[in-house]
Amino acid sequence: MIAPSQDTRRLNVVSTHAPLDRNGSAPCACRDQGETTEMPANPATGWAVEVDGLGKIFTDFWHRPKVRALDNVTFRVPAGGSVFGLLGPNGSGKSTTIKILLGLLRPTSGSARVLAAPPDDVLAKQRIGYLPEESYLYRYLTPRETLSFYGRLFSLPPDECRRRTDELLDMVGLTHAADRSVGEFSKGMARRVGLAQALVNNPSLLILDEPTSGLDPIACRQVKDLIAALARSGKTILMSSHLLADVEDVCTELVILHNGRARAAGLTRKLLTQSDRTRLTFPSLPADTLKRLLAAFRAEAGADPQVDHPSLNLEQFFLEVVEAASRSDTSPTGATLGGKPAPFLVS
Amino acid sequence: MALAGLTTAECVRQPIYLLLTTAAVVLTGIAPMLAMHQFGEEGRLARDAGLALQLTIGLAVAVTTASTALAKERSEGTAGALLSKPVGRTLVFLGKYAGVAVVLLGFSVCSLLATLMAERVSERFLELPSFTGYVTDYPTGIRLLLTIPAAYAVAAVVNYRTRRPFASVAFRTLLGLLLAALLVCAFFDRAGQLAGFAFEVDWRIVPASLLVTLALLVMAAFALAFSVRLNTVPTLAACAALLALGLVSAYLFRGNGWTAALYRVVPDWQHFWMPDALRSGGRIPDAYLTSAGLYAAGWTTAVLAFGAWLFRRSEAV
Repeated sequence: MIAPSQDTRRLNVVSTHAPLDRNGSAPCACRDQGETTEMPANPATGWAVEVDGLGKIFTDFWHRPKVRALDNVTFRVPAGGSVFGLLGPNGSGKSTTIKILLGLLRPTSGSARVLAAPPDDVLAKQRIGYLPEESYLYRYLTPRETLSFYGRLFSLPPDECRRRTDELLDMVGLTHAADRSVGEFSKGMARRVGLAQALVNNPSLLILDEPTSGLDPIACRQVKDLIAALARSGKTILMSSHLLADVEDVCTELVILHNGRARAAGLTRKLLTQSDRTRLTFPSLPADTLKRLLAAFRAEAGADPQVDHPSLNLEQFFLEVVEAASRSDTSPTGATLGGKPAPFLVS
Repeated sequence: MALAGLTTAECVRQPIYLLLTTAAVVLTGIAPMLAMHQFGEEGRLARDAGLALQLTIGLAVAVTTASTALAKERSEGTAGALLSKPVGRTLVFLGKYAGVAVVLLGFSVCSLLATLMAERVSERFLELPSFTGYVTDYPTGIRLLLTIPAAYAVAAVVNYRTRRPFASVAFRTLLGLLLAALLVCAFFDRAGQLAGFAFEVDWRIVPASLLVTLALLVMAAFALAFSVRLNTVPTLAACAALLALGLVSAYLFRGNGWTAALYRVVPDWQHFWMPDALRSGGRIPDAYLTSAGLYAAGWTTAVLAFGAWLFRRSEAV
């Protein structure tokens, strides 16, 4: 039996000045009309990523146009501790945008700058970490060899490379599997190696393409905690995802892509806030008190408030259950990711 | 260096590389023991078979390693991850070639050692103090063939005890055991009797094998350049067509006018196929080796420059 959380005894009161839509939420102008909220200027640290009118048409073997992946996309990612989300359904152009930012693809139109340099600038890539959508790894190398190889590409001294490799393996919970071929790994374990290789150069800008893809809910939570911790340490993070909860949890700003076009962009909190509503949360109230309060609300605000008990989302509930189970389990299995960055990433 | 090392490690750990090397050594080794009706040309047939196997199986090695190094990286996405790091595309391309070249050199050394021993195995007429007559040096052949199961057994034990990759350990062990087998042979005469230390192998095979290795290095450059746009099977087909065309280009295109122009745009592989020069005690002159080396270097440089240009223009996904 799972004991009910204390939170379920809390009461939510939402005043409804605006009519609700069919899903019980008020329509958001930005979201529905494709408007863009104001992006914060960041004159102190500048922009980590600048994308202006980006367009990309893929061609076939004979260079005939095949599909338009991006159409006039513009956004900016402020440098220094922000987590920026590229959100959109499959095929919306998220990965194409990221590949252009890394110089892997060339835009058909428009321009992009990353860390104040063109995307194919080799020196700028010294400060960029990239986790691809799939964990593209050399299947015959071990995690230790993989991290060592990427460390050498960044010209890390051998001792430093070894230290970072050990710390990253510890961070992603793969020390015990450090000398097994990556080809033998599950998708989740390969994802951890992918995450570690993206961090081996202690990047200023971390680009994560679907970072939680293939991970179980616990590992997802840990990756999100890690992203938040890295942002607190001053790194800029650009992540793409089609998982709304991931973006909502960690991204301070976002742009929503659909069919290769930016449909909405701005601060996450600002985009999601329903400013025409007010929510008050109380500890659970006796029926009489609640009745009196509702009468007072009706008299004062002239509208019927909506009353309910707040509930946990499934992710929170799942994590609580698993956490309780793992406390009582003496022989845990599988790799665990600490959710805390390796020491060299925050020192 | 890191890129070349990675390419070599990835290629050597693939079972296909070990299987191709094993096939070359086994086929070279058994050829002189199974062949019949050789009309006194036993040594030449063993030598030609070894060099032909080095060329044909080497072609497969060149294509599979080049394809693994580039085409497979493109299709499996590792190229994207690699190019997101601070390395230029030209450097990546050349690093890949260096790795493929190391792999081909490893294969060629195995093939050369097998050919040297196979030629020694082949039947010949001997006049020894203890024996006069036709002799096939079976003990050397058996030692040569035993290197394969021995290398596999060592690799299995190492893999079991240390989890190190079977294929690469087996390959390295095979290389070491082939060298050891050649050394052991030197303590025996061709009749299988213990004798003073003398290799009694035809060292003239070494320059002939070196020429074949040069051909393979040129072919690897082509395979890598093709791999920028093509996958493994089309690359293999293109390389096989290039080999066939290059072998007959001297007959088809050499002359005046436009055929001479065609001759210059197709590598003439006949420059690298010199087993006939070893007939009747002949040797391959050092000057010829130098000129063939320059010819190979010229072709390799040109093809790599073209491949690197293609790779810089290509998109990594």
